Amino acid sequence: MDFIKYSDSTLISNKIRHYFLSVIIVGVTAFLCIPLSNTQSYYVVSFILLFVVSFLATFMGIGPVIVAATLSALVWNFFFIPPHYTFHIEKAEDILMFGMFFSIAFLNGILTTRVRRQEQLAREREKRTDALFQLTKELSKANGIEEVIKVAIENIRLYFKLEAYIILQNGENILQSFKQTQKDEILSIREFEIAKQSFNKLEITGRFSGVSSNVEYTFYPLKGTRLNPGIIAVKQKSSLDATRKILWDTFLTQIANALEREFLGELAQKVRFLDESDRLYRTLFNSISHELRIPVSTIMGASDTIISSNNSKEVQTELCQEIFTASLRLNRLIENLLNMSRLESGHFSVRLDWYDLNDLINKVTKDLSEELKPFHFKVDIDDEMPLVKIDFGLIEQVLYNLLVNSTQYAPVSTIITLGAHHEKENLIIEITDEGPGFPETELKNVFKKFFKVNSRKTGGLGLGLSIVKGFIEAHNGTIYVSNRENGAKFTIQIPSAKPEIKKQVDPLYEWK
Amino acid sequence: MNGNEKILIIDDELQIRRLLEITLSANGYKIIQSVNGKEALVDAATYNPSLIILDLGLPDIDGQEILKKLREWFNKPIIILSVRDSEEEIINALDNGANDYLTKPFRSGELLARIRAAIRSIENTSDTAILTFESLTIDLQSHTVKKNNELLKLTATEFSILSLFAKNSGRVLTHQFILKEIWGHGYSSQTQYLRVFVAQLRKKIEDNPSKPTLLITESGIGYRFGE
Repeated sequence: MDFIKYSDSTLISNKIRHYFLSVIIVGVTAFLCIPLSNTQSYYVVSFILLFVVSFLATFMGIGPVIVAATLSALVWNFFFIPPHYTFHIEKAEDILMFGMFFSIAFLNGILTTRVRRQEQLAREREKRTDALFQLTKELSKANGIEEVIKVAIENIRLYFKLEAYIILQNGENILQSFKQTQKDEILSIREFEIAKQSFNKLEITGRFSGVSSNVEYTFYPLKGTRLNPGIIAVKQKSSLDATRKILWDTFLTQIANALEREFLGELAQKVRFLDESDRLYRTLFNSISHELRIPVSTIMGASDTIISSNNSKEVQTELCQEIFTASLRLNRLIENLLNMSRLESGHFSVRLDWYDLNDLINKVTKDLSEELKPFHFKVDIDDEMPLVKIDFGLIEQVLYNLLVNSTQYAPVSTIITLGAHHEKENLIIEITDEGPGFPETELKNVFKKFFKVNSRKTGGLGLGLSIVKGFIEAHNGTIYVSNRENGAKFTIQIPSAKPEIKKQVDPLYEWK
Repeated sequence: MNGNEKILIIDDELQIRRLLEITLSANGYKIIQSVNGKEALVDAATYNPSLIILDLGLPDIDGQEILKKLREWFNKPIIILSVRDSEEEIINALDNGANDYLTKPFRSGELLARIRAAIRSIENTSDTAILTFESLTIDLQSHTVKKNNELLKLTATEFSILSLFAKNSGRVLTHQFILKEIWGHGYSSQTQYLRVFVAQLRKKIEDNPSKPTLLITESGIGYRFGE
C-alpha cells in the first residue's frame, strides 16, 4: 500500500533514465533489424519498431515515448527505406508510409501512456478511498480521546509515512503545550507559539506553510463544527503534492470530527455527572437535615421541660428515656454516614479473623435489646456451627442494620428470626421478619443508596442497606432480599472454609 | 466501693468533662480535671489518682504518647475514652498499657461499670491467691476452680486461660496478648485455638454459655473478664 511517490530528485533521474532507455532500445532494435532487411521487406521492420514503441509506452512517460516514436521513424527512414543511409524518400507511397508510421507511433505511444495514467489514477483513487474508509471505520470504533489519537496517528503513519503528533486544547479553547501521546515531550516556546497561531487562526503554520516556516514541524489546525479540538504537528520532508493534499485534508476533517465527538461526549458526561452528584447532594442534605432535626428537637424539648417545670419523677424519667432514644438515633445516623464515607472512599480494610458467630450475635442483640424488646426475637444457630472467618466489626454492623431495618418496618409482637448455618464452605445468615416486605418492583433497588419505600413513615437516610451490601461484598459475599408469604427475608452468603484445628494434648488437671 | 477514689479526667472538651464530673461525683468519686497533656502529666504526679480517664485526641500531645509516659510509673487503671474507634487504635492503646477502652458516645452506666471493675481488679491483685467472681472461686495456689461451691473439671489449658483472665480482671486482653501468654509466640495469629478454648471454658463457668456474663467478647479486640 505504498502511497508515497518517489521524492523529486529520484523522479528526475528516473525520467532521464527513461529517455536514455528509449533511445537505446530503439537503437538496439534497429541494429538487430539490419540483417532482417536483407531478406525481408522494410515494412516488417516498421512493424517491429511500432511494437517497440507500444511496448515502451506501457511503462514510460509520454516524453520518452515521443522521443522513441520520433527516433524510430527517423531510424526507419534513414536505415531501411530505400535509398538507404539517407533521409531522402523516393517513392510517393513510402512518403505516405513514413507519415503513417510516424503518426501511428506517436498516437500509439500517447494513447498507451494515457490509458496507463488513467489506470494508475484509478488505482490511486481506490487506495485513497480505502485509506479513508479504513480511517473512518477505525475512528468511529475508537472510544475515548486517547484511542482516537492512537488510530489517527497510526493511519497517518500507514498512508503518509509521517510521524504525527496531536496537540489538544484544554477544554477551554486554550491549546495545551504538550503532545497528547508523549506528555513529557514538550514543544519549544517558539514551536508552541507557532502551534498556537495555527490553532487560533485556523491556518497551516510552520515548515512549508509560508507562515513561520523555519521550524521542524508543520502545524495543521483540526477544525470541528462546534469546537476545534486542537492541531496536528508533523515533521514532513517536502510539501504535499495535490493528490496527497486532498487526502490529507480529508484525513484532518475526519480526525477533527472524531475528536470533536469525543470532546462533546466527555462534556455531556461531565454535565450528567454533575447533575447526578447535585441530585445526590440535595437528597443527602434534605434527609440529613430532617434526620438531625427530629432527634435534636426531642432532646431540646424534653430536656427543656425537665429543667423549666416541676414534673413528677415518672414524667421526668419518661422524658429522659425520650432523650436517650433520640441520642441513640443520632448516633446511628452518624455511624451510618461514617460507614458510608468509609465505603465510598475505599479507605477501609477487611480484617479477617476466626470468630465464634455466637459472640457476634450476642453483641448485636445486646446493643439492640431495647429495639428488639417489642418483638419475638429468635436466634437459630446450627449447633455444629464452626468458627467463621470474618471481620467482626463489619458483620456486626451488617446484622445491626438489618435488624434495625426489621424493627422499623415490622409490626410489634411479630417474629423476627436470625438464623445461621454453614453450608459448602459458606456461612449463611438469614434474617426474616413479618413486616410488609418490599414491593416486587422495588426489590432490585433495596440496596441502592438513599433508597426508601415511599409510603413508609419511618425516617432514616436510606443508607443502612447499601452499607450492608458494601460490607458483605467486601467479604466477597452476596446478599439478596426476597419476599416471603408474610414479610421480608434477607439472605447473606459469605465464603468461609472451616478452620484448621490440630488436636492438642490437653489433659484434665490433676487435682490434689 | 468506699467512695473515696480520686479519678483524673483528661479531656479537652468542656462538655464531656462536665458530664463526667456530674456523673462520677454523683457516684461518690472525687474528680480532678486536666484539659491537655502537659497539665495531665503534672496532675497525675501531684494527685496520684486511683484511676485515670484519658481522651486520645488532646490538643498538645497525642493520647497514646501520654499513655506511654504515664505507664512509666503509674500502675493504677487507665481507661481510654475516645472518639477514635478503629481496631488498630484500640489495640495500640491496650498494648500501651490501657486497662480498658470506651468509645464516645458512651453510656454512662457502661463507664461506671468499667470504672468499678478496674478499681476492683487492683483490690483483687493485692489480695490473696483466691479470687472470686460472682459464683466462681478461683484458687491460684491449689489450682482449683469452684462454681457454686462445686469443683469444676478444667483442662490444663483451660485453667491457664482462666487464671490469666482472673489475674487481669476488668482489663481488656487482646487476642495477641492471650495467645502469646498461653501458647507462646508461634501461635500469635492462631485465633481459632483461642476461640475453641473460650467456648469450652464458657460451657463450664458460665450460667448460660450462649449469654456469657463473666467472659465477655470485645468486638474484634479480645476478651474482658469480670463484672
